[in-house]
Amino acid sequence: MIPFTAFGLLGLLALSIPVGIVLFLLAFGIDFFFSPFPLMRGLGQVVWSSSNSATLIAIPLFVLLGEILVRSGVASRTYTALDKWVSWLPGGLIHANIATSTMFSATSGSSVATAATVATVAMPQARALGYNEKLFSGAIAAGGTLGIIIPPSINLIVYGFLTESSIPQLFLAGLLPGLLMALLFMIFTVILCVMWPSLGGPRRPSAWRERFIGLLDLIPIFGLFAAIVGSIYAGWATPTEAAAIGVGIALAIAVQQRAFSLDMLSQALRGAVRTSAMIMLVVIGAYVLNFVLTAAGVSRALQDLLNGLGLGPLATLLVIVLMYIVLGFFIETLSLMVATIPIVVPIIVHLGYDKIWFGILMIILVEMALITPPVGLNLYVVQSARGRAPFKDVMLGCIPYAFAMLLMVGLLILAPQLALFLPSSL
Amino acid sequence: MTPLIYLLKKINDRVALAVGAMLMVCVLYTLVEILTRQLGGSLGGVDEISGYAMAITSSWGVSYALTERAHVRIDLVRERLVSKGRAQLDAIAIMSLAATALVVAWRGWSVVAKTLSTGARANTPLETPLWIPQILWWSGWLWFAISAVLLVVYVMQKLFLSDEGAIEEAVGMGGSE
Repeated sequence: MIPFTAFGLLGLLALSIPVGIVLFLLAFGIDFFFSPFPLMRGLGQVVWSSSNSATLIAIPLFVLLGEILVRSGVASRTYTALDKWVSWLPGGLIHANIATSTMFSATSGSSVATAATVATVAMPQARALGYNEKLFSGAIAAGGTLGIIIPPSINLIVYGFLTESSIPQLFLAGLLPGLLMALLFMIFTVILCVMWPSLGGPRRPSAWRERFIGLLDLIPIFGLFAAIVGSIYAGWATPTEAAAIGVGIALAIAVQQRAFSLDMLSQALRGAVRTSAMIMLVVIGAYVLNFVLTAAGVSRALQDLLNGLGLGPLATLLVIVLMYIVLGFFIETLSLMVATIPIVVPIIVHLGYDKIWFGILMIILVEMALITPPVGLNLYVVQSARGRAPFKDVMLGCIPYAFAMLLMVGLLILAPQLALFLPSSL
Repeated sequence: MTPLIYLLKKINDRVALAVGAMLMVCVLYTLVEILTRQLGGSLGGVDEISGYAMAITSSWGVSYALTERAHVRIDLVRERLVSKGRAQLDAIAIMSLAATALVVAWRGWSVVAKTLSTGARANTPLETPLWIPQILWWSGWLWFAISAVLLVVYVMQKLFLSDEGAIEEAVGMGGSE
């Protein structure tokens, strides 16, 4: 049953069948060949109850929020303002890429959206100022991945939904590791650019006066973040309701920036429906597969298999981490998460690890998957903003940041408090 | 693009806007509810209505994502093939999708049928008759199945004519955007 599931998954994915459909087909197959009773009679009910969810409506709303923000011109102002604060460091503008990604992550629930936004604003600057594009574009691709660890995060919502864990707690748990990772990215950049100045470009000092004036341009983003995260922790709103507040504020920002029009809104709505339907087909497929795997005993069989290896909890954890790194080369992020959560999380909990903590660990591994070729969406997003330049630049530029992520994984395993401190203190 | 595919895209574009409008109404309702709650009152039912809206967004949205070629597919093998091989994989993909959509629409009907026969209402203050959101939800999956079957017929015809360009355009892989 386990080989059937594993090879079925990989084989069907290789045929380029849509990922969500692959999960359905696997569920049908397991039901047909291995289940003693027909599970698919309950299919309709499973599909209905998995999508009839007030939690999940946060997904289209956060996507919509990002779509509106991208179209309102906030990104370029934020970039200019942050450039004045951080570009005096060795590596110059590369730090502005990381800082802007971090700021945008705090209002965006998706990594691809974050990377796309920052890339559009930043790439022309690299050309104009004569930067080495490798590290420059790598920093955007890697910085963009912060979008799913710094709250709000669509991937954390999906994780919380599939594992029945608290989404506010997950959001809170992601904050510190996310910021720490941004800091690691910047430290790695400084070290590299001090050792090999040719990797960077001109440092750009700014006057303090300009810096403080620039802060005004950060108000919309800060305000949005404070409203979304603040309203959740003040107990005024659930994560879903906070997403609605975010959409409201983003619309207000668009109006204030004179970017709002009916056409702009309908484009944003189309984008939101397209992206969230794409996500939902995968999530519903995962839910159906989860239901069948549990009912047919596959999850238990896998658990027994891992227990049978006689590894300790830490060794098992490391095997799982390794598996994510390897699978991350080949499988797209959300698919990787939803296909493995039903199998891996019960094992992790059984070993005595914390579900919230593992959620953050998994998110970092999944972020790595976003920048590791051949299937690393952020690489392609950044590349598409660059046009004619060779793709391998982006790939090479990401390598140092992938190591920073590995370091973060190690830190999180050594010190789980990095993730658990904030949720447990509230 | 043939009239059929053009029409399908056009309809699904309208579907997306309608779903988007529904989401905006949800946003508005939620904002009003949050304000009312701060003032000590409550409209109630936000979670329930959001749940229905999400079910409808998913079931109707998948058709739009389908004609926009937005459903995630892994192209590790596909990108290494010549256009004929790609067209064949695209055909396999759309047939699997259509088959799945038909099964979901068929099994989904039993949920609606059961609700209709028992007259079940939501276990909430609103006491929504469940058949209303369920019919709206189920019809989305039915439309997904119809869209997919139409695409299968189209792709079969083009496969027979060796018109790989048309297949790519209808059910190939769009960009990641």
